[in-house]
Amino acid sequence: MVARALVVTDSQGKQRRLGRRLERGGEGEIFALRDRPDVIVKWYYPEVLDKRGEELHRKVEAMRGLRDAHMTRDVCWPLIRVFDERHRWIGFAMYRARGVKMSFLAHALLCERYFPGLDRRRIVAYLIRFIEIVQQLHEAGVCIGDYNLNNVFCVPSSGQVTLIDCDSYQLRVDGTFYPCPVGSPDMTPKEHQGVSFRHTVRTPRSEAFSLAIVLFKCLMLGRHPYDIVGGDDPVRNLRRGNFAYGRGQRDVPQGVWYELWRELPDTLRDMFVTTFTVGADAPAQRATLAQWHAALSDYREAMAAGRCAVHLAKPGRPRRSQVQHAR
Amino acid sequence: MATYRLNRDSDLIDNPSPRCACMLVLDTSASMSGPPIRELNAGVQAFISAVQEDDMAACSVELGVITAGGKVTEQLPFTTAMNIAQCRQFTAAGLTPLGSAMELALDRLEERTAAYRKAGVAYYQPWLVVISDGVPTDQWQAASTRARTLAQQRKLVVMPVGVEEADLEALSAFSTRPAKRLDGLKFREFFLWLSASMSRVSASASITDQVKLPPTDSWDSI
Repeated sequence: MVARALVVTDSQGKQRRLGRRLERGGEGEIFALRDRPDVIVKWYYPEVLDKRGEELHRKVEAMRGLRDAHMTRDVCWPLIRVFDERHRWIGFAMYRARGVKMSFLAHALLCERYFPGLDRRRIVAYLIRFIEIVQQLHEAGVCIGDYNLNNVFCVPSSGQVTLIDCDSYQLRVDGTFYPCPVGSPDMTPKEHQGVSFRHTVRTPRSEAFSLAIVLFKCLMLGRHPYDIVGGDDPVRNLRRGNFAYGRGQRDVPQGVWYELWRELPDTLRDMFVTTFTVGADAPAQRATLAQWHAALSDYREAMAAGRCAVHLAKPGRPRRSQVQHAR
Repeated sequence: MATYRLNRDSDLIDNPSPRCACMLVLDTSASMSGPPIRELNAGVQAFISAVQEDDMAACSVELGVITAGGKVTEQLPFTTAMNIAQCRQFTAAGLTPLGSAMELALDRLEERTAAYRKAGVAYYQPWLVVISDGVPTDQWQAASTRARTLAQQRKLVVMPVGVEEADLEALSAFSTRPAKRLDGLKFREFFLWLSASMSRVSASASITDQVKLPPTDSWDSI
């Protein structure tokens, strides 16, 4: 690989010095700007630029066009074009996200380290905020497509949520369709399994399925909805709509998981059951983003009013005998 | 016996991370004496420390170690990286019963993935890394067929690595991918690469996807 120059140029020809490299991803590297620690630069690898540079440039430009109308600081959206010393486009600059990956929030053993004192109120607040950001994207004709808890940042001291790695998102701008060429089978609904992501058209219904997995994983401290005792891998279970929690404790992994589930309000549990069983096959049956938002808002109110437990069962602790909302 | 297990029994119940089992089969025969065994030991320690530094990998990677030096020894039963207190130092002695070491490794991997399924714990394709500086001195053809078949079915990633004058052809028979030759004694570089690969695997949102591994040019040679 060619050594990278430490200076990049913006579209006005103004030179900026890069600071240290923060990440190496699949498509490129992320650098901090030396004098603006709140701004970062994504620099695509030369081989990626050779292969798909023009396509990426067009998509990022379309994203920049959307920015003023719809995007806020809650998404790390491309802001400024970046060029190398030979004036070739090599990537873009954006604001840097603060916070901790949602994958640490959604982990029974790690959440306490990164989110000290985490309880259900805080988890629900992050999730409501997350849904609002996705709704705002949908209104702008943007789908996330590649749902990944590593790309959602939560600030432990506040309810702030920021989405990163947005250049993969699916968008439709002025009649042109830009696909989300990547995805994870574990987070993808059945209708988009086994199809090249490059040719997949995400819809609000497919997004609602992936979003429900994110909600489940956070409320269940890292359990995937399709982890099943004695079953197949989560992707096969997903394709079959084989969700263990709705029908009693059968096949639910041992441990705190069923306790975490039982403490959720009936409404939320019903929405998960419908989405993950019949909804696996029938997209129209899935709970919508608006329904999730309303149900989680009710849950938040119920907790604030003391009608629901805010306590989070954690692994390895003694079981509580009294459980609310038990069926 | 060294004790590695802290809360091994409850780990599959309490830890929601999908697992990546990584079995190391290490040739510790007499020919590994001196600098090779020293570097191998240091490399394994560096590997454990590097995996432990990455919180996600520490919760996902389960390490097992089997040595083939005179006899076959299970040095470390599968343990989640976060629970490994220390790993024994290996000494070099005897012949290279790599065939039986691989058989044992494949049995242990099978048992472990069965335990994952029983507990409802998702898992990535397990890894079997075999490092040798020579040729197996026992029957190894059956084990190699078994390992290669699993690799073909994409149920196992088999990574054979040859040290110094190792017979790469024999090692390659265990896998669908050709064995790589370690450049000199760059065990440390190899194990840091292995840990970076494990980090990528455990960070991926999908247990079924192919993960793009980092380049191996820090440790392999032609």
